[in-house]
Amino acid sequence: MTAAGEPTGRELTAPRDRERQADVTASRSRLPVSVVAVSAAFGVLVVAAAYTAGRLGQAGTSWADRTYWAGQLLILAPVAARMLSRRSLSGNETVTLVVVLTVAEYLVKVCYSPAAFTYADELMHWRTATDIIQTGHLFTPNNLLPVSPYYPGLEEVTTALAAVTGLSVYVSGLIVAGIAHLLFVSILFVLFRYVSGSHRVAGVALLLYASESLFSSFDSMFVYQTLALPFFGLTVLATYRLAAPRATGHRAGWFTVAVLSAGATVVTHHVTSYLLVATLELVTLGALLARDRRLAAWASVLALVSAAAFGAWLVFVAPSTVGYLEPVIQGALQAFRGLLPGGHHPAPSPASAANGPLENQALAATAVLIMSVLVPVGWWQAWRRYRHQPWVVAFAIGAVSWYVIVAVRLFVTNGSELAGRASTFVFLPAGFIAALAVIRLTDNSLRWLVIRAGLRRAPLVIAGAVAAALALVLNGLVNGWPPYWERLPGPYQVAGAERSVGPEQIASAGWALAVLGPGQRFATDEGDLPVLGSYGDQDTVGDDGPLYTSPTLTPAAAQLIRAQSIGFVLVDLRLSEMLPASGQYFPVDPGLGTYKHPLPRAGLAKFNRLPGVARIYDAGNIVVYDLRGAAFYGS
Amino acid sequence: MGRSQADVAATALVAVLACVAAAAGAPGPVMTVLGVALFAAPGYLLGQLLTGSRTAGLERVAVMTALALVVPILGGLLLNVAGVPLHRPGWLGLLAGMTLAADTALFARRRAARAGRADRTATRVPATGIQAVPAGSAVPGSGVPGSGVPGSAVPGLPAADLAAPGGPRPGRPTTGWHLVVFAVAIVVAAAAVGLAATGAARQSQAHFTQLWLSPQRPGAHTLSMGVTNDEGSATSYRLVLRRGGQVIGTWNLTLGDGRTWQRQVPYTGKQVVAAGLYRQPDLTHPYRYVSVGPGSGAGGS
Repeated sequence: MTAAGEPTGRELTAPRDRERQADVTASRSRLPVSVVAVSAAFGVLVVAAAYTAGRLGQAGTSWADRTYWAGQLLILAPVAARMLSRRSLSGNETVTLVVVLTVAEYLVKVCYSPAAFTYADELMHWRTATDIIQTGHLFTPNNLLPVSPYYPGLEEVTTALAAVTGLSVYVSGLIVAGIAHLLFVSILFVLFRYVSGSHRVAGVALLLYASESLFSSFDSMFVYQTLALPFFGLTVLATYRLAAPRATGHRAGWFTVAVLSAGATVVTHHVTSYLLVATLELVTLGALLARDRRLAAWASVLALVSAAAFGAWLVFVAPSTVGYLEPVIQGALQAFRGLLPGGHHPAPSPASAANGPLENQALAATAVLIMSVLVPVGWWQAWRRYRHQPWVVAFAIGAVSWYVIVAVRLFVTNGSELAGRASTFVFLPAGFIAALAVIRLTDNSLRWLVIRAGLRRAPLVIAGAVAAALALVLNGLVNGWPPYWERLPGPYQVAGAERSVGPEQIASAGWALAVLGPGQRFATDEGDLPVLGSYGDQDTVGDDGPLYTSPTLTPAAAQLIRAQSIGFVLVDLRLSEMLPASGQYFPVDPGLGTYKHPLPRAGLAKFNRLPGVARIYDAGNIVVYDLRGAAFYGS
Repeated sequence: MGRSQADVAATALVAVLACVAAAAGAPGPVMTVLGVALFAAPGYLLGQLLTGSRTAGLERVAVMTALALVVPILGGLLLNVAGVPLHRPGWLGLLAGMTLAADTALFARRRAARAGRADRTATRVPATGIQAVPAGSAVPGSGVPGSGVPGSAVPGLPAADLAAPGGPRPGRPTTGWHLVVFAVAIVVAAAAVGLAATGAARQSQAHFTQLWLSPQRPGAHTLSMGVTNDEGSATSYRLVLRRGGQVIGTWNLTLGDGRTWQRQVPYTGKQVVAAGLYRQPDLTHPYRYVSVGPGSGAGGS
């Protein structure tokens, strides 16, 4: 065993030799990688056609939905089939398959909103980037996501690219997010390739990683985590390279790379930088268990460097991060306490649209079952063949987190969202360990079974593996983003996600910024909030439902206005015409998932009758009221 | 200057050209090409300086790309601390300065490495190919010391294997036929994005007109009144302004799509000022309505 965890001797070279032998002896595939690329490109085209149909009013039809999934299958099925096929696959071909999958899914994301950012989180970072361009300085307050300006890495890169090329923030952001996403996947491939010694294991691990629910959405959007991930990966890769026994004389360069990438992680995203430290500690633990002192030393040194960097950033630059993350952490801890014996279970959440249709839940259950079976098989494989390999030991320990997020998903209130957000990091070790299982199952055990049975069932076995992989990846798409109720772009939806971003919202927000100035305290609804906070740069209030639901201004609503210093109310009259697509009219909404009828019109129109309230803007559907002259505002 | 320094010269040229083009107000496409090249240059050079030829294929590209992204992040922080505005001159200065500095360092390192090789040749150190280069010394052409392991820093794996992630170990050359197929894939993917963009542009959206009447700050003695036409075509309106119920102004407006009409209206704060916008030919029902003033509510429907 080497210091870097690279296997020596019979124990690990044997499977690699077998793989290489299989590569040499296996016949060439009738499905060249170039054809897979064309299939994926046509898949993107079919998805784009489905999106266009949705925009032309067919978003609710089953044929448009089926067209979307046909396009996705054109992308996914050939990649999975070629990756899992036992026919010859070179390193370059494996890389190409991974790149084709990543790029195709990113283009699908681009096709969803090809003209401007529409996802709420993307709008938040668009605001920060726009502020940097307008002011020329970092750390300009962002009312929509106050912590964003203190982690400006994404916006710095985007504004720098926009400045030197003359491209718009949107186009620059698409380029930066796309490159960052592909870069992260590439770095993971290199790392998995080094650790396993097999490009096939690395490819399958990436295929499984692509099944995490945020792979095609949150990890490739214009959000800070997207850019932080490749720096996270590069720091870990540099750790591997630093610990290589023949790296003497090379280490200064790799150490510099590690420090620079760790620093960039810290400046770009808070959670990723914390998880970088945790990952390096996990590698240290794996190295200690495998008695690899050199790797343990380098990993712990880089963990200390990363911890010092984010500690300093937290104290001197971004102390508000604590307040931002505290509610999330407390909520998670409270939910976990509820799982313990004698713990208090929080009140169950009302039925939410996020729970999805039965078939989506069935697919999610299937995917959980597949991964839950694969991980123990991977552990067994790791124990048999890799137990002295520190990186595999670290991944095996990290893969335990898979069962933690399964428990969170099953038993914690709103656990699906928490589990989904964690899956970006949980699938790193879990995907690798599961890949060991997949390779074992498709190569050795099944080959043995086939030989023993005297049957030629290898194609069936491979088909089963491909079907399982497709179930995993499709689950990531079905239960990822966009939600099923906004799978296709289309006409305006009340309190939706990206379909709530329309010209009237953008025009109203632009008017608010131009006429009222930035930073006014605004009450608004779920669908209008991201637009008003980003394009309008207004300080929006999330828990303002009581202002809209009652036909009269109740004392509680007046108290809310005073307590929150709400100077303006944006009323979207369509709240009285449609049920909320997301299940909630307001960001903080006690009525989540319980609405049977749209909001009463009288609740929205009451501001016309309130003394001292000025109706200052009217665009038809959207009306803005100025509360600052009313008696209840200041009293 | 030998071939080994061609990249140094090219990146330096990109840095200079980008600055000159920006100063001269070059057309957008020119700035886009030069800007992308300038954006990538520091990453390439830092990658050469820090890891050199010890990485190959996909790993090398990944490291260089990541370093190219690191430069504006950490460099932007330094500019901000130094009080340099993060506008085009600041970013150009950072990227061009970083490129030229890295060029200088790489140039000097390669010259030193070449001189070292010449010394070893003069002292008749046997050169038996790349395996004879001791760890910690340079691989010819890389300019980076410590490249004693050709393509591999990790034992236990053949060098060819380690170069494999994206590297030159296909074992199966890409034929012209495959290249054509890949080109088709790129064209189809571009068509897909074009189709999506066209669909988004043609998506039927509800058309609307904006009317506003607002004090631009509390206690102001004027109101900003305006109309913006977003109906998708030229539209004719009648705008009626009332103070205390009395008509004080009427305007017949015809606005093209996307056009705005604005006025400042005196405002004392003692009387209700209201504006009704009628979309011609219907002069009976107000199309839009706004109202500012003390006393009773704003009105409207």
